[in-house]
Amino acid sequence: MYRKPGRGRVLLLVFLALSIIVITIDYREGSGGILRTAKEWSVAVVAPIQRGFTTVVRPVGNFFASIGELSDLRDENERLKDENEELASENSQADEVLQENERMSDLLELEEAWPAMDKVHAQVYAKDAGNYGEGVYIDKGREDGIRPNMPVLAPEGLVGKTLSVTAHESLVVLLVDTNFGANARVKDERDTGLVRGRGSADPLTMILIGKNSDVEVGDEVTTSGLDEIYPPAIAIGEVIRAEVQGGQASKTIDVEPYVDIAKLDKVMVLIRDGRAVGEAAGED
Amino acid sequence: MAVSARERGLTGFSELGIGRAAAFAGMLLLAVAIQSTLLAQATVLGVIPQLVLVLVVSLAFLDGERVGTVVGFFGGLLIDALLPGAVMGLTALIFTLIGYGVGLLRYMTPSDSVWTPVLTVAGASAVAELGYAALAIILGQRWVSLDETIKIAGLVVLYNTLLTPFVFPLIRRVADRFRPERVIRL
Repeated sequence: MYRKPGRGRVLLLVFLALSIIVITIDYREGSGGILRTAKEWSVAVVAPIQRGFTTVVRPVGNFFASIGELSDLRDENERLKDENEELASENSQADEVLQENERMSDLLELEEAWPAMDKVHAQVYAKDAGNYGEGVYIDKGREDGIRPNMPVLAPEGLVGKTLSVTAHESLVVLLVDTNFGANARVKDERDTGLVRGRGSADPLTMILIGKNSDVEVGDEVTTSGLDEIYPPAIAIGEVIRAEVQGGQASKTIDVEPYVDIAKLDKVMVLIRDGRAVGEAAGED
Repeated sequence: MAVSARERGLTGFSELGIGRAAAFAGMLLLAVAIQSTLLAQATVLGVIPQLVLVLVVSLAFLDGERVGTVVGFFGGLLIDALLPGAVMGLTALIFTLIGYGVGLLRYMTPSDSVWTPVLTVAGASAVAELGYAALAIILGQRWVSLDETIKIAGLVVLYNTLLTPFVFPLIRRVADRFRPERVIRL
């Protein structure tokens, strides 16, 4: 067969050069500029197809799941009704406490407590397509008030933060992602530090600022509010290992997140004002 | 005697044509959407198969190194754009090399064997996964452990290989339909 391999080689060199240029721009600009626009466009273009698949598949998956759980549903229903009544009464009390909290925060000019912040509820419709990054896509975006670097929560605790935001969708980087980091504190202790993700297969790791620490297995870790993204007191997870390893002065602390990232479905985004949220989505 | 456009040595872009480029772009978008929804739910030990890579390898195998290079670059770039915290251009670089390499390799392999595309996907998946991990570490990205990297690479190779017998015939059907066989009678 007659071929001119030279032309293929030229094309290869052109696209390799393009790849290297893109990598260079990524390193220079971070996640701003032209690449952010390219990412947002990509999210927006793929979103309708992803949502289509999710819409078709979810009812089928739910149907089979429901058949398996049918016998438990009646008991569950009764229990939930009871819980609902209890929660309704607790809720009215909580509202009063919340209003009081807001008044006190205003007086003391403290950071706004997250339960009092505006929230946007969203549905997870897809996961990121890779095996190293840990992210999910949600069906709310810029038109709902969401901007990059806003905290994302599930009922169990912290989920992550928004990254690429289009008009109607957002990419959320999860707390188990290797690029994730949040200032955190151990509840009931004075220790603060940085919680980082290590991939979905491993627990989070916490690096303490102080070397001497009383942190123990079972302690709860929450956000500290010391960074510009996460307000204080959002539950992150539980300490499952806290030990001094050979040669190190500080303890190695593993934190199991409360949120089960494999089962994320409905989440809420805390709408923070422009003062607290930097537009540049740089490292935490 | 019949000479196809491919045999006349046209360049990557002119070889593509608008209809064909649209078909390939459509397949890429469909593949990434399936990968992030259906396949992201049907993981093996938490690992998602890389359908976009299977598509790039299949098209390179069917249509040569020029198509493989172009589809590899854009497929990789799309993956990069949709991953959180990824270095943009890294997957594009790997997939471009793989598209070109597989395109060249097809001239040296028995194309009529059903095993050839399957084994090609297996080899390309291993190169892609380990190559990506190595480049990411060289570029100073935060990374998962070596054990985890090897586990992920092994499972991706396995899963991609299992998908290929089902996916490759579909890709071939679309590729055949849009191939510019502008036959010149001599």
